Amino acid sequence: MVLVVNELTDDSEHESPDHPERPGRVEAAMAAVQELHLGSDLIVAPAYSATRSELTRVHDAGYLDELGAFCYGGGGDIDQDTYATFDSWSIATRAAGAGLSVVRELQRRGEGVGFVASRPPGHHALRDRAMGFCLLNNVAVSAAALVSQGERVAIIDWDVHHGNGTQQIFWDEPHVLYVSMHQWPLFPGSGAAGEVGGRLALGSVVNVPLPAGATGDVMRRALDDVVAPVVDAFDPTWVLVSAGFDAHHLDPMADLCLSDGDFAQMSLAVSHYATAPGRLAFFLEGGYDLGALQASVRATLSSALGAPHDGEPPTNGGPGGAQLATITAQRDAALASWTQIFDEEDSR
Amino acid sequence: MNDINSIAVGFDGSDESELALRWAAHLAREVDANLTVLHAAGILERLGAPFSHEVTPQVVAAIMAEEGLDATRYHWVVEEGDACSALLHCAQAPHHAQLLVVGSRGHGKRPGMMIGSVSLELVQHASVPVVVVPGC
Repeated sequence: MVLVVNELTDDSEHESPDHPERPGRVEAAMAAVQELHLGSDLIVAPAYSATRSELTRVHDAGYLDELGAFCYGGGGDIDQDTYATFDSWSIATRAAGAGLSVVRELQRRGEGVGFVASRPPGHHALRDRAMGFCLLNNVAVSAAALVSQGERVAIIDWDVHHGNGTQQIFWDEPHVLYVSMHQWPLFPGSGAAGEVGGRLALGSVVNVPLPAGATGDVMRRALDDVVAPVVDAFDPTWVLVSAGFDAHHLDPMADLCLSDGDFAQMSLAVSHYATAPGRLAFFLEGGYDLGALQASVRATLSSALGAPHDGEPPTNGGPGGAQLATITAQRDAALASWTQIFDEEDSR
Repeated sequence: MNDINSIAVGFDGSDESELALRWAAHLAREVDANLTVLHAAGILERLGAPFSHEVTPQVVAAIMAEEGLDATRYHWVVEEGDACSALLHCAQAPHHAQLLVVGSRGHGKRPGMMIGSVSLELVQHASVPVVVVPGC
């Protein structure tokens, strides 16, 4: 089995070394890749900066102009969480391009699993605004590129925070299924179960909000009982995972209680969503405890590659199971509308 | 024009937002309106200093006392998320704010830059009047 990663390009000096979103995150993720000892099965996709036309599929041109000018003007704080430096435009466009590069390499090979170990993360970035450490929406850029090629893309987001940017970008896009499992309430405040997609794509958004303290058994039930039927009906040709690792019990940013063993099991579940080889890629989102990040990335990738997991065991016993029944009912109602949309499209 | 009974103001602990808070408190007292003091909590909030300002009910209470607004006339709301969305929600139930108040710039932003401007976005999307209180 082949693992395709992007070429590590982030060698910039960080102006806020104590900030949790820091270059050490990519180093930890890449250390996890090295621990897999894949030898010639490790393929490094070439470095690449996303072009303007690739970015404007998901971001407003005016926002891109403004962000570029802001960075090259020296950067600064964008909001209470998000900052940019002189180098941020270059780093962010390469992070977005890394996803495109990994996807192309998977397409060329027709096999393997992709891993996009880039920063800054992307899933909070809206069409016209940076937020939550995110400047450009990396997974959305790749998903939109695939949609432009006629593909149907399922994005599974297991970052502890709701991916409000990805949801907004594809709110009315019936060729993208966006699924998020996250702690709620928590930043950014969105991601209620009733948010199921826009009028043109009703049911193409599935949110699974979970209470603080939820453990891996609830996540696994959500993937098996809530998400899998929707994915089956959607029948994606690609599966992209917004793989944040801040739901780990050691992460300082939130209160879910997952272990790296849970990430191994979640990875196995989403691997089964991909219906053909070479059509699964993981995109690094959050994850701010470097040790937990490294162990969780290793667990995720080794599981996706079919190797046994030798880290922490899966967790059980936390709250959240009761919410799944309600979410399932809302999902079924939305799914009925969504299936109708696709039936009409297929009949044309 | 209808009387203003309900005002919402964003407060993130910055100097600019404190000016907005004081201005809104003064107006609320003058027109006998209720004031919602909204704090939108970001990702870094839970890490505390040095990543975020001290924004607590006690800080707000002290400012309200200085502005002479009785504790029964304001309430303190914390919402997870971005400030613009949270303030826009204040114009809806249960707050029904008829006026939104913000400072001109939040944390450490450079004057003249549109990116990250809550006030600009608020003006573009709000369904009720918006007051942008200029900084020093």
